[in-house]
Amino acid sequence: MSQSSTQNPGFVQVRDLRRDFDVSKPWLNRVLERAPRQYLKAVDGVSFDIRKGETFALVGESGSGKSTVARMVVGLLPPSGGTVSIAGISMTEQRASQERQRLRRRIQMIFQDPYASLNPRWRVGRIIAEPIRAFDIIQGEADITARVGELLTLVGLHPDDGKKFPHEFSGGQRQRIAIARALASNAEFIVCDEPTSALDVSVQAQILNLMRDLQEKFGLTYLFISHNLAVVRHMATRIGVMYLGRLVEVSEGKQLFFVPRHPYTRMLLDAVPDIAMVGKSREGVKGEIPNPISPPSGCTFHPRCPLVFDRCRIENPPVIDGVACHAVNEGRVAAA
Amino acid sequence: MTGQSSSVPVLSVRDLTVEFVTRRATLRALDAISFDIARGEVLGVVGESGAGKSVTGSAIIGLIDPPGRIAGGEVVLSGERIDNLPPEAMRRIRGKRIGMIFQDPLTSLNPLYRVGEQLVETIRTHTDLNAADARKRAIALLDEVGISAPERRIDGYPHEFSGGMRQRVVIALALCAEPEFIIADEPTTALDVSVQAQIITLIKRLCSERGTSVMLVTHDMGVIAETADRVAVMYAGRIAEIGPVRDVVKQPLHPYAKGLMGAIPSLEGDAERLVQIPGSMPRLSAIPSGCAFNPRCSRVFARCHVERPELIQVGDRKVACHLYDMPESLRGKAEIAA
Repeated sequence: MSQSSTQNPGFVQVRDLRRDFDVSKPWLNRVLERAPRQYLKAVDGVSFDIRKGETFALVGESGSGKSTVARMVVGLLPPSGGTVSIAGISMTEQRASQERQRLRRRIQMIFQDPYASLNPRWRVGRIIAEPIRAFDIIQGEADITARVGELLTLVGLHPDDGKKFPHEFSGGQRQRIAIARALASNAEFIVCDEPTSALDVSVQAQILNLMRDLQEKFGLTYLFISHNLAVVRHMATRIGVMYLGRLVEVSEGKQLFFVPRHPYTRMLLDAVPDIAMVGKSREGVKGEIPNPISPPSGCTFHPRCPLVFDRCRIENPPVIDGVACHAVNEGRVAAA
Repeated sequence: MTGQSSSVPVLSVRDLTVEFVTRRATLRALDAISFDIARGEVLGVVGESGAGKSVTGSAIIGLIDPPGRIAGGEVVLSGERIDNLPPEAMRRIRGKRIGMIFQDPLTSLNPLYRVGEQLVETIRTHTDLNAADARKRAIALLDEVGISAPERRIDGYPHEFSGGMRQRVVIALALCAEPEFIIADEPTTALDVSVQAQIITLIKRLCSERGTSVMLVTHDMGVIAETADRVAVMYAGRIAEIGPVRDVVKQPLHPYAKGLMGAIPSLEGDAERLVQIPGSMPRLSAIPSGCAFNPRCSRVFARCHVERPELIQVGDRKVACHLYDMPESLRGKAEIAA
């Protein structure tokens, strides 16, 4: 991972990415109740870089916008504002360029639910061969079958498994199939949206180890979305913490766990039940994520923040040196 | 922390066996499991999907639906056998003496009734309170589980509550009749971490205040580590290891428990690779002979293929593994011989 990370900074560049969802009531209700249109800011000005060969993780609770970011980065969802560029090619520009078409095949996604992401009526071999055929990477049936067998072996399955249907596999094996499909088009950049949250712990360990092995072997770049901090700590080179559509802290991997800086990150870390916590009592966490349709003014975390002061209620803190917090940026808190 | 009172345990399960009869075969989901829960004790039950955790809970409260059936063993609640009671008598115990908290709070609340109506109905079913007193009690319960402005919130519908708040309402429902025993089946799995911590703290506090015993079923070791007094690790319908939570989490004995603890990414410690247990849990239709874990076990030897290990006492805990059924000096040799 380390040798390639310096030569190409910002393999993926995300700048001021925004996405609003229209959650207005139907037209008639709006007219009768004189209600204005309502928008939910799912992602509100997120910027980050992913270096080649690293794993960039996004963590946050449900509704924080991490999956929306992932879907915009792969191009499944058009952003309302901001840009995404991968290997210097803009993914968000209106004009569909030929370069982008070629780039698309190098980007793949692994989804959370391996029961929903594989077509139940296709044999596994056909599922894995789909990107190969779609992008015309290999010609000739015999060669395609050989390649599928090779991919299945790579993810720890048997080449003959290609003849089976998805329902014949367990959750962990299905996720292996999803990984094989992602690798089929020689992808370099894989967006993983909660790849292990539907799996049991012992199977989760198998999949996480497999993903790391493949990363080392092929120099893959991952955008890794998870709500599980321990999994993220295990996988990530760098971590971004999201809260209500904003990136509140970006930190070098384990650094985040040794010196969490944003008060939200600290709260989150304190809240995780951990097996190291046997017999220890914890500090209570206060409050819940507010309604994203009418988020609090200023810094959206201020109603739950122990360090809140007047400025937080009015002004949205910019990300300075990896942290979006007035208290930290003004040096009012020691760095833990 | 375990019941030193030496009185009868609140719940005692002996050789409980649950079978599901299908056209092809009879599947054994629970295979003669036994455990006790003392007054005020929290027993954590962990294991992967299909280990039999939830079936254990359903069997105790008599909610196994056909084709499943309790094929053997007994369940004793405070000295009284309950597994052979007629359905009507069982219905009266359910909710009154055994409370239940399920994983998804939205499905355990009726979306068409106000929260207060559901609480009052439950309270009046199990106690002699009149409507006005029951409502007062419902408000007091909501207050106790940490819902602010309970006088106002009691008239809200479930959809007006957030996930964490709903789970608090469900806990209040479970506490309505002051049960002596609560089964909590994955109570925090559907919740975000920050809310999860609040709910764990709440369950812990309520149980120690009221002396209620809890069977906490979850696949999350972190939750168990913080909440439970004792923990039972289940595998393929049997208990692999049961003992004080500190021992089992920090120094598991059974190879499956060891693998399970090593597989969990931790917030501390620096494992470059996670321990992985090869393979996956066997299907009920194809449970291996001998020890069910033997095809995945790294320390398997000849006896494991033939003989099913029983739970044996090792210090404070019990382990179902042949490795601990021999003098320590012989353990390595048996494996080499295999």
